[in-house]
Amino acid sequence: MAADITLLFKASVKTVKTRNKALGLIDSSIREEPGGAKRARPRARDGFGGRAREVISNISKLKDFLLQHRKEYVNAGGVMCSDVSRMTDSERDQIDQDAQIFMRTCADAIGQLRSDKGKQVVSAQVRDHRAAVLDLIEAYLKGVCKLYSEQRAVRVKRVVDKKRLSRLEPEQISHDKQQSDGEENNDKPVSDGNVDLWEDNRVEDDLSPEEIQMFEQENQRLVGEMNSLLDEVRHIEGKVVEISRLQEIFSEKVLQQETEIDSIHQLVVGATENVKEGNEDIREPLHGVPESSAAGHMTGSSVLGVGVVLQGFHGSSPQRSAAELLGAPAGVCVCVCAAAVSAAVSAQDRGA
Amino acid sequence: MAASIREKQTAALKRMLNFNAPPLKNTTAEPVWKVLIYDRFGQDIISPLLSVKELRDMGITLHLLLHSDRDPIPDVPAIYFVMPTEENIDRICQDLRNQLYESYYLNFISAISRSKLEDIASAALAANAVNLVTKVFDQYLNFITLEDDMFILCNQNKEHISYHAINKPDIMDTDMEAIMDTIVDSLFCFFVTLGAVPIIRCPRGNAAEMVAVKLDKKLRENLRDARNSLFTGDTMGTGQFSFQRPLFVLADRNVDLATPLHHTWTYQALIHDVLDFHLNRVSVDESQGSEASPAGARPKKKNKKSYDLTGADKFWQKHKGSPFPEVAEAVQEELDTYRAQEDEVKRLKSIMGLEGEDDGAISMLSDNTAKLTSAVSSLPELLEKKRLIDLHTNVATAVLDHIKSRKLDVYFEYEEKLMSKSTLDKSLLDIISDPDAGTAEDKMRLFLIYYITSQQPPSEADLEQYKKALVDATCDLSSLNYIKQWKAFTKMAATPANYGSSGVKPMGLFSRVMNTGSQFVMEGVKNLVLKQHNLPVTRILDNLMEMKSNPETDDYRYFDPKMLRGSESSIPRNKNPFQEAIVFVVGGGNYIEYQNLVDYTKARQGKRVLYGCSELFNAAQFMKQLSQLGQK
Repeated sequence: MAADITLLFKASVKTVKTRNKALGLIDSSIREEPGGAKRARPRARDGFGGRAREVISNISKLKDFLLQHRKEYVNAGGVMCSDVSRMTDSERDQIDQDAQIFMRTCADAIGQLRSDKGKQVVSAQVRDHRAAVLDLIEAYLKGVCKLYSEQRAVRVKRVVDKKRLSRLEPEQISHDKQQSDGEENNDKPVSDGNVDLWEDNRVEDDLSPEEIQMFEQENQRLVGEMNSLLDEVRHIEGKVVEISRLQEIFSEKVLQQETEIDSIHQLVVGATENVKEGNEDIREPLHGVPESSAAGHMTGSSVLGVGVVLQGFHGSSPQRSAAELLGAPAGVCVCVCAAAVSAAVSAQDRGA
Repeated sequence: MAASIREKQTAALKRMLNFNAPPLKNTTAEPVWKVLIYDRFGQDIISPLLSVKELRDMGITLHLLLHSDRDPIPDVPAIYFVMPTEENIDRICQDLRNQLYESYYLNFISAISRSKLEDIASAALAANAVNLVTKVFDQYLNFITLEDDMFILCNQNKEHISYHAINKPDIMDTDMEAIMDTIVDSLFCFFVTLGAVPIIRCPRGNAAEMVAVKLDKKLRENLRDARNSLFTGDTMGTGQFSFQRPLFVLADRNVDLATPLHHTWTYQALIHDVLDFHLNRVSVDESQGSEASPAGARPKKKNKKSYDLTGADKFWQKHKGSPFPEVAEAVQEELDTYRAQEDEVKRLKSIMGLEGEDDGAISMLSDNTAKLTSAVSSLPELLEKKRLIDLHTNVATAVLDHIKSRKLDVYFEYEEKLMSKSTLDKSLLDIISDPDAGTAEDKMRLFLIYYITSQQPPSEADLEQYKKALVDATCDLSSLNYIKQWKAFTKMAATPANYGSSGVKPMGLFSRVMNTGSQFVMEGVKNLVLKQHNLPVTRILDNLMEMKSNPETDDYRYFDPKMLRGSESSIPRNKNPFQEAIVFVVGGGNYIEYQNLVDYTKARQGKRVLYGCSELFNAAQFMKQLSQLGQK
């Protein structure tokens, strides 16, 4: 985005130089001294700037030191790992103390610079500048101190947590061991310090091999138990799923039957009515002339036969959609029955 | 263009302040102190983007104006951020001769010419300080970014490129050339910082066209020069690769004169209209307490307090485009949440106090510690929130006072109706003759809008009547002359500006605000709801961006600096709708247009629009310019 024209500038400088030479304007005193940029200006190296820079380099050293040892300090290894580089608590305390002394020294140095600055006679701008510089250094120191205090906070928290968990246990050692067994499984770090508080009835941190083995066995047992429980639960779950599926099918079937029953009901009602009508129709001719009775008897018996066949046909496939099957032949069937009945009646009549 | 223009410019500034090296992410890095020296242009560019605290964090111990008296501060590097003008160059040479600082990093806001560079070179030689001049850069940052998507050209000499300067009848060609050059230079810097070469569209026959021609030429020259091209190389960055180039729409102020005069109802535009709002800084007259002054009746002192409305202020970012009643409610809500949080913290304090003695506290210690640490860390946030709430309360109260005293809601409603050509319920004459409603300026604005938006100009008799009423209300009529001329001129050209159909619904006099008994008692002020409508500039943008065919924009010229041959045709090669657009109004713009564009963008997913103008004026300033033009 921005164009670096430094090279262009240097080129311009050369141009100007050659031009000056060409015009003979060069003054003998103006010569480019090698490294002459840093002329002997009244810059006391051990003045303000120098001292400030010293403080900064010290703080940086502290920062590097803290970062370097941070990993070991905040050691998160469990009891099982026997890391050689594991820090003892005393080492940690040492680091804490050193860091604190260092920080205090730096803060003092800054304070001293500040008071010195007040004594010197300098212009207002330089004074403002120096004040701002000191603010910057302080902010930097604060940042580094924050690093340190974070580390420390993590460490303290671990200790407190450990203490808290230990406190939950009753007096008996066996129970203690079981509890801490459960906790060790969560990889709690071992802190060797704070021995004085733990003198009475606390867990021995160095577990003997037998105890370790015992805990291992307990572990295995518990794992086995959990697994079997899990299996049972799964089994039951499968069964329940099965049951629900079957129940669904059952309810489907019931619904189907309901529809069928409904349709049959309809049919029966229709049939009844038709029969009634048929009866009425029959009664009329009965009171009239029964001449076509022979023809009626023939058609009646053949129709009866057809009706029976249809009924049987219909009866064998109950699953088919009852409505569509019954619909068309039903009407035929019913009329056929009616006709058959009338024929039977007329036959009876003749016979009688 | 994933990063907004504000982020880009801030990043460029920060890089510059880090000795032109990319800034490290390491938070606890060693501090390196430096001194920043700027001129007024540089100050205007930096002040909306970086606060003094941020400068301090970057290691700037002192920030000084170039032309002030500066004392030598040895063994400190100095960063200069100035425009390459004659006086500035002279002063820099003087600094070099006086050996004020240890090393010099020169950054020029726009490109410096070769001859001036040689001037500095000779001064450096004379002072034997060539090695001290460590770096020289052309920053190409000659524009001011006010919002994520809004920029203006410059603030310092804005009379030179104001509407008045461009449109005055006795302008000379040389003046015009100079103005165009200034504008094009800034726009060029803008595109360099943005890192994209746009496709330019502009109307024919006005200042916008001149700007477009020059800009196209400048971009083309720069692209041809492959060695020094500013648009290639890793400055483009991988994140900026977008398949489409942005659309650059140049509009001229003359296409729409009613919008700058319009009374408005959204928060940011109201503040700009009514209070003193400049480069994101608002000054409010604060009376010393709204309670009755104690017996003895000391007169209330009025202090002027100024506040910065920045990008970090979440409330502002959320509500700067909301209608004013919403803002009032939102401030009330914020206040309530803040009070609740404050109570929570206080409660925690008392709990901690009680728990301290308990012996079994260790087990609960960690919970409470966690609560306490969270409370402690949230305290600065709470304080900051309180400060912002106070700020907005003051600002909003000031705005509300103005609204009530000048009856701005009435004006707004009426003007909306005028602009949308819906039926008017009150006659214009009534409002003008009404002594309570608004200042003389408000009435003049209303009348001008009426004149501009009416299809036919009012008859002579009517005009005389209006004029008389206006003069009675102590208005200044010279701006009317200019508007008459303008109207005659534009009538020949195109259709009169159609402001789209809008509607303003009054939402009832008693809003929720009243019921909650807040201090923003809006009785007597109508709670108006804005309906979405498109201002002329937004409509033009819509047509061009979506490739719609419209008689208004069909004969806009088309420029593509990347094409080998410049063509005179106005047929766009690209048929797809654009995803990104930059709208620039030559002659000045204001927040109402900006807000309209923001609303337009919000309604459409995936489109980004940036708004820029050569200067930013509110209605009062624009009226002044119109009067000046009318008096000629």
